[in-house]
Amino acid sequence: MKKVKNERGVLKVICENCKQRPAKVTVTQVHNGEHLERHYCEVCANSLHPFYVEYKQDPLSLHQLLSNWFSQTEQQPMQQKQQKNIIVCDECGWSIQRFLDEGKFGCANCYNSFRPQLPNVFKRLHNGNTKHTGKAPGALGEKIALKKRIEAIRTQMKDAIATESFEEAAKLRDEARDLESQLSTGGGDQTNVN
Amino acid sequence: MSIEHFLDNSISSWMAGVGQHSDIVMSTRIRLARNLNGYRFPLAFTEDEAHKIDQSVSATLLDASDELDMQFSSIHIKDVSELSRQVLVEKHLISPKLANSPMTGSVLLSNDESVSVMVNEEDHIRIQCLFPGLQIQEAYAQADVLDRVLDKELPYAFDEQFGYLTSCPTNTGTGLRASVMMHLPALTMTKQMNRIVTIISRLGMVVRGIYGEGSEALGNVYQVSNQTTLGKSEEDILADLQSITEQIIQKEREARDALLKHSANTLEDRLYRSLGTLSFARIMATDEAARCLSDVRLGIDMGLIEDVDVSILNECMVFMQPGFLQKYAGTSLNTSERDMFRAKLLRERLQKEEKQKTKGEESE
Repeated sequence: MKKVKNERGVLKVICENCKQRPAKVTVTQVHNGEHLERHYCEVCANSLHPFYVEYKQDPLSLHQLLSNWFSQTEQQPMQQKQQKNIIVCDECGWSIQRFLDEGKFGCANCYNSFRPQLPNVFKRLHNGNTKHTGKAPGALGEKIALKKRIEAIRTQMKDAIATESFEEAAKLRDEARDLESQLSTGGGDQTNVN
Repeated sequence: MSIEHFLDNSISSWMAGVGQHSDIVMSTRIRLARNLNGYRFPLAFTEDEAHKIDQSVSATLLDASDELDMQFSSIHIKDVSELSRQVLVEKHLISPKLANSPMTGSVLLSNDESVSVMVNEEDHIRIQCLFPGLQIQEAYAQADVLDRVLDKELPYAFDEQFGYLTSCPTNTGTGLRASVMMHLPALTMTKQMNRIVTIISRLGMVVRGIYGEGSEALGNVYQVSNQTTLGKSEEDILADLQSITEQIIQKEREARDALLKHSANTLEDRLYRSLGTLSFARIMATDEAARCLSDVRLGIDMGLIEDVDVSILNECMVFMQPGFLQKYAGTSLNTSERDMFRAKLLRERLQKEEKQKTKGEESE
């Protein structure tokens, strides 16, 4: 290890690689059970050991962000705040505080238990969105897919009318009607999709 | 099919170097996260729950192999040695999280490795489809078929407001992560990547180095994927990724043309030096190997280097990783032994190619 005195006479370790900049990073290599310490400046350390850097946690961890958002936005009186922290999911026993700490849910029912608080979280994670608009499973999914198809046909119908292709528009109208009747009878279960 | 098939072979179907824009887009990956009602998520569940989930998901997929026209091999993670797990991770067939999980979990792999379904990773079910080149729609269609098969038999956790319920709130909604792996050497050389990363992050997408979180990607390979999963339909997510990918491809091509126009000689020199290093070096660390492979790949794409096959470079990127090397060596290796063994394998692989080429020319 090369040490030099700086202008104030303090010993400084110089980077082993470039032998110019002061060493700031210590890399410990385990070599056949022997620990070998190397001292590099930040520039050399980055270029020499791009993957050996193991973070104890994610560089920017989700749970940190979550906790910060909550404390930022919900400047509530202490009493209320404490109340919020003891909302507990009755299925897995996780509190909302645990959800914030881990950055993960304990079970599907957590979504139900923490429902009022969640839009605030999702808004930030998903570009302001808080409601699912995609695919859905099972019968519900088929119903949603059907509705989407009807909507698409209606749009086509409007285009057809705009270009005065009335025959085409009438065909599309009938098609949409057929699908709508399927939706009211075939869908089976009475779940409200809206 | 035995697990050895997946471990011994460093070639996967995505490496074929086919598909649209395959000179820049190496592969397309679709991942769907799903959970079952009635069981807690893997962070909170018991071993008993883990076992039941594993059994029912595996059985459903194995039963559906006719319907899917796809044979699956089921691999229980607990039955596999640590080194073998590392190899599966290096091939991107399982995640480090699944490899290190203390609970019962497994992976179901299609024989060509284009489909892998992880059970009890962060979510109960993770469907993954990996296609060569830019094939976003095709890969999603495959994942969607598997999703429907599982949906028919198993009760998915779903909420009308929040969509598919996942362990991590960043996946809630569609549970869909679509990503493309891109080789972007010219954009990196011309120092444009940082700017691109910033712009893309404003559009609900992320760019990261494939082998790490740092901005400097190993081998100039970047992964572009959607960040938003809630409030956007699957179609929109896929269409947005497609359009961003096409724009990046366009920019990379422009940068390549510019390099060729302004510094063709320097560029050709650098690329051939890398080919020389790969062909003759005796000690080779991962980052140097990745950089040289990237250079040679660029040389092939630009028509400067002619007698090397791209699929070999894809394969080299995989087998030069520590787990694979040790699997090949049949013994554990320390860092410097690994660097020597890596250099040896790369040399042999490139020479083998050279010989086949000359043989082919003689017989013609």
